[in-house]
Amino acid sequence: MIYDCYTIVITGLGGQGLIKIIQILGTALMNEGYKVISSETHGLSQRGGKVTCFLRFGNTLNAPIPMIGTADMIIALEESTIIDALKFTKPDKSTLLIISTYEKNVLGQEYPSIQGLLNNLYERSDKIYFIPAMEIAEKQTGNPKTMNSVILGYITKFLYLNKKVLEESINHNFSETIIELNLKAFNEGLNL
Amino acid sequence: MEKIYTKIVNGQSGEAKFFLGNEAIVRGAIESGIDVYTFYPGTPSSEVGETFIALFKKVGMKWVESSINEKVAMEVAGAAYARGATAMVGMKNVGLNVASDPLFALATTSPKNENSALVILVADDPQQHSSAVEMDSRNFLKLFKIPALEPGNPQECLEFTKEAFNISKELKLPVIIRTVTMVAHARSNVIVGNIKKSELKNDFDLSKEFNVALRTFFLEMKEDHIYNRMVKALEISEKSKLNRVENENFTNEFELGIITSGVSYSYVVEALNFLGLKAPILKIGIINPLPVRKIISFLDKFKKILIVEENDPYLETQVLAIAHRDNLKVRIFGKDPFSYSKEGLLLPYVGELNPTKVALALINITKLKPKLNLEQILERKYESLTRVPSLCPGCPHRTTGYALQKAVKKVKSTTRKEVYFYQDIGCYTLLALPPFSFANVKYCMGSSIALAQGVTHTSESLNIAIIGDGTFFHSGIPALLNGIYNKAPILVLILDNGWIGMTGQQPHPGSDTLYYAEGDFKKRIYLERLLLGTGAEFDVIKHAEKQDGKYSVELYDLIYRKSLEVLESKNLHVILIQDECIQKTIKRQAIIIRAVDTDSCNNCSICYNQFLCPAIVEIEDNAYIDSGICLGCGVCEEICPNKAIHKEEI
Repeated sequence: MIYDCYTIVITGLGGQGLIKIIQILGTALMNEGYKVISSETHGLSQRGGKVTCFLRFGNTLNAPIPMIGTADMIIALEESTIIDALKFTKPDKSTLLIISTYEKNVLGQEYPSIQGLLNNLYERSDKIYFIPAMEIAEKQTGNPKTMNSVILGYITKFLYLNKKVLEESINHNFSETIIELNLKAFNEGLNL
Repeated sequence: MEKIYTKIVNGQSGEAKFFLGNEAIVRGAIESGIDVYTFYPGTPSSEVGETFIALFKKVGMKWVESSINEKVAMEVAGAAYARGATAMVGMKNVGLNVASDPLFALATTSPKNENSALVILVADDPQQHSSAVEMDSRNFLKLFKIPALEPGNPQECLEFTKEAFNISKELKLPVIIRTVTMVAHARSNVIVGNIKKSELKNDFDLSKEFNVALRTFFLEMKEDHIYNRMVKALEISEKSKLNRVENENFTNEFELGIITSGVSYSYVVEALNFLGLKAPILKIGIINPLPVRKIISFLDKFKKILIVEENDPYLETQVLAIAHRDNLKVRIFGKDPFSYSKEGLLLPYVGELNPTKVALALINITKLKPKLNLEQILERKYESLTRVPSLCPGCPHRTTGYALQKAVKKVKSTTRKEVYFYQDIGCYTLLALPPFSFANVKYCMGSSIALAQGVTHTSESLNIAIIGDGTFFHSGIPALLNGIYNKAPILVLILDNGWIGMTGQQPHPGSDTLYYAEGDFKKRIYLERLLLGTGAEFDVIKHAEKQDGKYSVELYDLIYRKSLEVLESKNLHVILIQDECIQKTIKRQAIIIRAVDTDSCNNCSICYNQFLCPAIVEIEDNAYIDSGICLGCGVCEEICPNKAIHKEEI
């Protein structure tokens, strides 16, 4: 598959491992021959707060931040954070929304109802996928922290990427002790 | 460490690596034969220092240090430069304020050693992703009168760093590399070049005529600096391919050209493509001195010019002056540097740019109507949860905050005095947020102790300064000495977590590195001995020595008693609270997570509502500890009034 410019927006909470996803996916895409650029924010202000990162790849080098209304895929690692990225969805409703069903409550605020959330999502996209990545990770690997590898596996299909390249990148980017677990989680995601 | 070395240093010329902008800067410096790197950590510049620390010995560099503050870092690197080293110093934007004093003199000195080169990395943070202020460091360039380069992506980070070393070596001027968050923290394919070995010579010339800022020598050096070395810098800027016109042959009906630099260039390209607008772009890589002749010949071709830059109108002010000096009839759009009005502003002074903002500015000038209605998208608002950043699970500052809250409540009720808090720069700044809300005044690194003095001398209130150990070493010590000498009746809480926690647990002179990868490699300075030397009244409380489950109660009691003492005795008092950063502790100690016994829990909500540990939530009328988040500090077990929290059985 050849992309001129493919834009992924990733939302979640600081500490959820957004940067790891970018490292693994970015390295794999580079090895597939793409020009890749990503942006991320580090540091204190992000821990537990909302974070939005971008990963873009294609034949030419793009800006680290995309235009609104132009994303090809939005991944939310925490369900409610998808809302903050909806301005990046394409008006023709073709943007893929991939949402982990993990919910993190905020003290003193009511968590958005699933119906309210869905109403907003259907207004912006016809391609919405919820995945219980945390449950799958916990059940299949015993470690909920491998949730991001489940998601990586899941999106690999949509991007028509070579499974081997992703696995190599996982090997490369995790410490020895957790590579096997993450490969297992990755394959679980791939086979969903 | 081996992994970092493999990642950064391995690889032949022409190979592609997936590098963070900051990693590309390190590679660029190693390809320039760097000898010395000094720094003070600060987002978004910290990874440069961390990477150098991990690999400097193996690379064959002479010296790398995480200095006590930016001023010292600048001085250590500055004198290394004077003696002929290829040196670099790194900091975030506000760090340059601290380092500006030595830099002003250093910029004018004129080392006589062939290999002398000094590159200063300054990382700005538009949008304040992780900063106390939003500050455009480019404004310093007119004061220091030194060359500055601004890369716009990781590949340019590598190339511009190498060019900065070349220019510095050639001109004997320090050269600034200015990044922003979206460059320093961008990741991209980077084609690397060849590693260069250090060429440091044992013999060197340190003649005072070229290195001493003193009236006898200084004016002569200043003449040489401005009329000789900066003239050469201007010639380099005029000829450099870093300042170039992109799409020179493009034309558009609006006779519009664009001037931009750094990451803003990529936003311009994106916005032009989006609008299907073809316009030449003057991309400025050397942002000081500006290539005046190139700018003139560019301005001369257009009726309208849009200048795209983040934060202050640094380029715009100069381009306006150049256009006026050469009497060019061209309309210049951007921020209008002389109005300060938000009315009709095309591009903002405040916050980060992005392609959408640039496209809107272009639409405003051209009245083009793109297929995608950007304003309509931006108008559609969604309600979403507000999430404030929180301290880590297991963070010692939470325990301090909890104890302080109880102590202050009691002080207020017994004395009827008002209590005010002076904050500093560190993770503990988050104690300024509800429910703790410990913050009345806060400015910059090391300011808390002096701020407390400013109010205590003019009111009857209790004034409490909150400062971390790293910040205390950085610039808190002079303020403390000032307070002791002046008998300022304030309570100083030093929240000693042992490390510069916020930027990634870098060591400072008080860090106990023995149990970690760094090993026992430097002479540790003990804060309690330092305090003893000042003659101040102080107490030390160490969490590690209180495993009896009473630490938080003792801390509360200590803060309460000492608060009363300060009010009565009218003397400064320090409490040194030693409790290690949990992110470090978990690297040397197994995590023993906690669990809630639902039979004993009566859902009093103290642990999740007042103590506010992010690992604890309320589920089905009970407190519940998320095993994936808990880091095992065990403080919840201490504060639970029903003894319902215990160590998780494994």
